[in-house]
Amino acid sequence: MKITDILTEDYVRVHLEGTSKEEIIDAMIDLVAKQPKVLDKERVRKAIFEREKIMSTGVGSGFAIPHGKTDAVSDIVAAFAVTAQPIDYQSLDDQPVRLVFLLVGRDTMVGPHIKLLSRISRLMNNEDFRKQLLEAKTPKEVIDIFKQAEETLTES
Amino acid sequence: MTDFNTILFVASFLILASVIVARLVDNIGIPTLLLFLGIGIVAHSERLVEFGFATPALTQYIATIALIFIIFAGGLETQWHQVKPILRYGITLATGGVLITALVVALFAWKVLGYSLLEGLLLGSIISSTDAPAVFSILRSKKVSLKGTLKPLLEFESGSNDPTAMFLTLTMVAAVNTGQIAVGGMIVTFVLQMCIGIVVGIVFGRLVVTLVNSIRFSYEGFYPVSVFAAAVGIYASSSLVGGNGILAVYLAGIVIGNSEIVHKKSLLRFFDGLAWLSQITMFLVLGFLVTPKEVFSHAQGGFIVSAVLIFLARPLGVFLSLVPSRFNIREKFFLSWVGIRGAMPIILSTFLMTTQLPQSIEFVRIVFFIVLTSALVQGWSIPYVARLLGVDAPQPQIQRFPLEFETPQGSDTELYDFIVPYNSTATSKPIVELGLPKGTLIVLIIRNEKYIVPSGGTILEPGDTILALVKKAHLEDFRKVITTGEGTEFFPL
Repeated sequence: MKITDILTEDYVRVHLEGTSKEEIIDAMIDLVAKQPKVLDKERVRKAIFEREKIMSTGVGSGFAIPHGKTDAVSDIVAAFAVTAQPIDYQSLDDQPVRLVFLLVGRDTMVGPHIKLLSRISRLMNNEDFRKQLLEAKTPKEVIDIFKQAEETLTES
Repeated sequence: MTDFNTILFVASFLILASVIVARLVDNIGIPTLLLFLGIGIVAHSERLVEFGFATPALTQYIATIALIFIIFAGGLETQWHQVKPILRYGITLATGGVLITALVVALFAWKVLGYSLLEGLLLGSIISSTDAPAVFSILRSKKVSLKGTLKPLLEFESGSNDPTAMFLTLTMVAAVNTGQIAVGGMIVTFVLQMCIGIVVGIVFGRLVVTLVNSIRFSYEGFYPVSVFAAAVGIYASSSLVGGNGILAVYLAGIVIGNSEIVHKKSLLRFFDGLAWLSQITMFLVLGFLVTPKEVFSHAQGGFIVSAVLIFLARPLGVFLSLVPSRFNIREKFFLSWVGIRGAMPIILSTFLMTTQLPQSIEFVRIVFFIVLTSALVQGWSIPYVARLLGVDAPQPQIQRFPLEFETPQGSDTELYDFIVPYNSTATSKPIVELGLPKGTLIVLIIRNEKYIVPSGGTILEPGDTILALVKKAHLEDFRKVITTGEGTEFFPL
């Protein structure tokens, strides 16, 4: 499964306002909850914050990937945001975060969820790619950057 | 006669070329048999081969030896528990189905194309059986996955219908030579041949298992060697006592493959390689028999017979022989479509070449044309036809790793997913030296979307997604470990 199969312009924000980690994650859950695949927004929120409690998903280099698995979605959903300001995300490397990818998987579909996590993590571990995203001006640009990057990934 | 070293060089070149081209066209889905045959034909027409060796008789010997190993290896890999429920359908298809197919082609050739009835029967018999190597390789390729019992049925059919075709052909060759057919005697001989083949195959198959298991060979390499010799011996002894050799070898393969036998894995690997070598050699050598020009010199006749075979004779054979069965109409159409012709018709047509029949050259070329069109049209389209008819099954998920984990009662260990931080310093040393908290286990690493089962020596990479069993109380320690690589506990090797 490709990232751009589940992430579309409607669920991308390029200047997401917010000052705290909670505020940003909440805003992104509101964003993703616009689609009918999200059956219960509150339970999604609970799943995301529970996972966040276990260990921060700020995996370093200004990127965070809040995620969780729940039966409150009918399929994998995603949202992506570039924050307006650097956010204190309690990241594992203590650096502030500006790129946030939200991934909510269905609890019965562990395989695709974990593979997508791996794919996102792999893409984001590239400094040029992160820079391009930070400089994107519109959601469409963001999607194009993702598309381009996924095309160059060696198919496995 | 060409110099010996030149022969070796050309043979090696052709085999390597076959293997490499097979890899190059992997994605296009051309049946490999067509490829090897094509390379053989081109090599022959480009005069790469002037071994003085493309004589029908020698080709027949080489092809027969190759066929023994292909069929035997096919038997070894056949799962008896899958075949058992469809056994009787397989047998009807391999006998009645083949006969009906041959008869329909014969009638058409007689009534429409103006051949004599005997000639029609001869042509029909030659092209009446489906090709085991082609069916095996297509159905076992990555692109096809079938519902229910279609796959074992088709494989069993293709593995066991060659004897019928061979019997019919040889009977017809004799009949054309003498000008008459004794139907009664024919049936008796057929039943006798098959029964002897069955007995020899099963008895000798069991014998091989017992012998191999009881003898302690001095070298592991002797195990495949002894079975190799036994396979040839089973073919020969069945033929010598008037039984069908191919059937005996196939059954012996099934018996041995489904028994507990010493070094079974290396045996299977040996015969897998041998079967491929046989297949390549056989089709190459068969390709030496004609040139492209010759094949297309009877394209019109070949095309008509091919169409009749694919759209009329084979479907009738399938539908009539499976009247009392639980297969539905779409499954029957699919079974009809997987009627790929391959090596057997060409081998059988070499029997023609050794006779003095006036029509033999023409028939051989028609047969080649039929094999080419059948392999191309049917072989290529099988995955799509399967989908169209709704008989394809979702591809089995071989990598079913991402495991579910139920927290057992009274345990505080859970399965979590983590991502190794991008600037983690845990990525400089193997897992065993990270000092993971006691009772923690990294179960799976997902790196570049591939699953890796880690061992103590595995080194984590930044951005790896990992599944780990961690005690709740150890989460903070675990975080420290995958961030800095500095755990609190350290277990030296």
